[in-house]
Amino acid sequence: MSTVHKGLTVTVRLDEKNIPYVNGLLSEYRKDLKIYQETYRKSLSTTFFISWLTLPEQQYAGKERLPARILLLSSYVGSKAAHLRELVAFLGPQLRQVFSQSPEFPTGETDEQELIRFLQRKSIPNTFYSGFKFITTREADREAALKAAVLDYLQAAPDINSDSNPSEVKEKIERYVKNHPKLHWASRGIPFSFRNKLQMLAPLVVFSLVMIASIGSLIALFFSDAAVFQWLAWIFPAFVLTLLLLFLLLRLNENNPHEPSDPLPDEKVREIVALETNPVINEMTVIAPLKKGWIRRVFLAVTLKLVGLVAYFAYIPTVHTARWLQMDRGKRLVFIANFDNLSEAYAHDFVDSERRSMNMAVIFSHAFGFPATRWLVHKLYNHRSEYMKGVRAHQKITQFWYSYNRDLSVENLKRNRAFREGLFKEMDTSAIREWLLRI
Amino acid sequence: MMKKLEKEDIQGLLVRGYGNLPTARYLLYTGTEPEMTLGFLRTILPKITPASEKPESVAFQVAFTHPGLAFLQLPEVVLDSFSREFKEGMNDIHRQLILGDTGEHAAHHWNWGNEPVHFLLLVYAKDEQQLEERISWLKSLAQTHAVQLKQALPTGLLYGKKEHFGFRDDISRPIIRELADSPELDPETSFPAGEFIMGYKNLYDEFAPAPTVPKELDPENKLPPHPDEQEQRDLGKNGCYLVFRQMEQRVSDFWQYMKTKAGDADAAIALASKMVGRWPDGSPLTRCPVKPDPSLSDANDFGFWEEDKAGLKCPIGAHIRRTNPRDHLVTERTQKDSREMAAKHRMLRKGRPYGPPLSPELDPHTLLQRTEDGEERGLHFICLVTDIRRQFEFVQNNWVNFHKFGGLENDSDPIIGNHYQNERRKTDSFSIPEYPVRKVLTDLPNFTRLKGGAYFFFPGIRALHYLLANG
Ligand code: HEM
Repeated sequence: MSTVHKGLTVTVRLDEKNIPYVNGLLSEYRKDLKIYQETYRKSLSTTFFISWLTLPEQQYAGKERLPARILLLSSYVGSKAAHLRELVAFLGPQLRQVFSQSPEFPTGETDEQELIRFLQRKSIPNTFYSGFKFITTREADREAALKAAVLDYLQAAPDINSDSNPSEVKEKIERYVKNHPKLHWASRGIPFSFRNKLQMLAPLVVFSLVMIASIGSLIALFFSDAAVFQWLAWIFPAFVLTLLLLFLLLRLNENNPHEPSDPLPDEKVREIVALETNPVINEMTVIAPLKKGWIRRVFLAVTLKLVGLVAYFAYIPTVHTARWLQMDRGKRLVFIANFDNLSEAYAHDFVDSERRSMNMAVIFSHAFGFPATRWLVHKLYNHRSEYMKGVRAHQKITQFWYSYNRDLSVENLKRNRAFREGLFKEMDTSAIREWLLRI
Repeated sequence: MMKKLEKEDIQGLLVRGYGNLPTARYLLYTGTEPEMTLGFLRTILPKITPASEKPESVAFQVAFTHPGLAFLQLPEVVLDSFSREFKEGMNDIHRQLILGDTGEHAAHHWNWGNEPVHFLLLVYAKDEQQLEERISWLKSLAQTHAVQLKQALPTGLLYGKKEHFGFRDDISRPIIRELADSPELDPETSFPAGEFIMGYKNLYDEFAPAPTVPKELDPENKLPPHPDEQEQRDLGKNGCYLVFRQMEQRVSDFWQYMKTKAGDADAAIALASKMVGRWPDGSPLTRCPVKPDPSLSDANDFGFWEEDKAGLKCPIGAHIRRTNPRDHLVTERTQKDSREMAAKHRMLRKGRPYGPPLSPELDPHTLLQRTEDGEERGLHFICLVTDIRRQFEFVQNNWVNFHKFGGLENDSDPIIGNHYQNERRKTDSFSIPEYPVRKVLTDLPNFTRLKGGAYFFFPGIRALHYLLANG
């Protein structure tokens, strides 16, 4: 079974005049959610987050009108087909009600299969990040309960104290887990964990192998002129040359005069932050047209592909899931994140560290209104507060937002997992001490 | 190249705490008629103490709320150029949520600050007599100008530079680089002026965000030019924001809780020290985890990354570790990133305690014996920042009150956090990492309670002249 986290992004065009109606529907669902949270949790077992919103028209390159849209963005675990089935089975009527406002929705009756096919057809690729990889919704709950039970056990156990030998403490915990009917499941280890890692890393492995093979072939050409070497030998130099060319063209585009975007008025910011009332996790959607010039669109597309390849190794503190994607033939950048605490605090994760604000420039500097750069990451002037303003200027209200998890921060989820991973695993004394600190 | 500070244009509190003027009163006023209020303020203006002077007997400082500036009829464009949080005010419903000012901390319970106050005068004096003289002068002045004194908040420094729970306070202070004598500055404790004074570069190498005045509204060029915007003049230059929170301290509840949870006096003191992160004498737990070391009572050159990552000495959730995580944030992967992050959220603390101490020398052994005496006491927490949201609010929200800070589950700051439980969150635990398993204290009551508060603009002297000339 796959436990890799992924993002589904469905988008269709919408007549701008229908926005208020659709917003009304989405806000109603948001209200319902308050009452039916548990039903959602039970019925959407592959789903961690759903953001569902309308997007008004935007201007691209000062003249082109980008259409109004409906966007449905979910973070799920496992297979896409199962996720779509589950969404349609539980949210079918709402999906129909909202998407039927779009001219792209099929006319006439749509049964479940048709609705699934529609969502499938209208889904677009994204670069996805998860901060708590390979954990399913069920496991998130179970692992929290497991750790809480072990903490209670240790605090109450009369024979465990500061003089206890670490290995003995660990053995006692393991015995407790094994013999407890409700925790016994944790003695079986984490299923498919190697396979899932491999699945996530496969594209990077393939990419690296092709590049290595190409470099190998370049060398091999000195000794043999076999056709396979001749073909392969092209790939690496072509890749490097393409990147160089893209960089040069980008550099030329960077000479365009910088156009700042209007800051979001205070009332709008208030409207957005007023929705951030959840005690642990909140959401942010930023959608901006790109700066003008085809090179921006191409460069960003290539960047997002490369970032996707290394997403396994990426780290964004306090983020549960995030995604970046392009829409409207690459002319719009969409970024959404589900993070701990408030957007005000979260935004600082990006701009407070020099390194991370550079990483941020790799993607966001292509979006309209974001600070100008030189060679992609070098700032032309001081620009961290400009990034904060840019993010706010393009932030949208997410009319409907669902989160499976309501009480666990990403650090909680990771610690619970790390504790479980340590169970029944060989460790030396100092590793056990470290492990015990996670409880 | 570091820019020289214009000390003669900066109010003195930004560079000193007036420790040589141990008596002080904080006066909160509202005007009834703008022109008369301006008259009142203009009379006081020559007495406002700049940073270039070190007064020996009295000092006056002044700060304004946003409603206060509006009352003085500052033009709308200028009023609008202040930061959103200053305009909204501390008692704005959303800001209360951010700050964790809910339940018994909520603004409708406050003694002041929920109804608008217009300005704050901080009066410092060498002794009670000097102070009283100034206060009675102000009283008659206020009467003739129909200015209402809403609150006269007393202050009183405590024995051994302590706060009411019995702990040494005011040890860790950020140093403004431009003010330091020594060229050898520790980058962790020294900061560019723009972090605390507007008109100078901050840690992002940008000019701190500041209120502005369109050129045409300052025809006499009273204000300096804005460093970034040609069409604007800089109203913020040499000023900052002043955050004021009156926090009552429930000293007897605090020590009774420690006694109940810990048993004997020494264990109770050790537990309270775990919550603060320093021993009562000020020595940091990170340096002397087992018992206090008086030789370290001023020590501030420590970090957590190398010395105490897991919090076995100073718990991750201790007050000093939350309000300044120094070089270790659990969510960061490197010491450098942690350091860079933590540095962006510092503040200059300038508050003073108020109310009589529960015992004169504030020795925790004696405090443990004392029962409630019915007196109100606490801290007038004041901090100076150039960015309320990035500095004060960020710390209060993300580090002090967020119950998931540092991988914790249900803990807010043990000393100043808002402790409660409801169906959506539980914030009243305190975790102490220990071998073999962390100790978790539950059901922490609120040891402090918010009694009032507001955001103020603390202008430079030229800006003050501009504000008072208008109208
Ligand atoms: C009645 C309320 C409070 C009490 C009793 C209190 C007590 C203390 C004590 C005893 C220290 C250690 C002394 C030192 O390191 O200088 C300290 C440090 C500190 N407190 Fe508070 N405090 C209170 C409110 C606040 C508030 C509201 C904030 C800000 C949100 C705050 C921020 C700080 C900071 C930044 C430090 C220095 C930490 C460091 O750099 O190591 N305190 N406090």
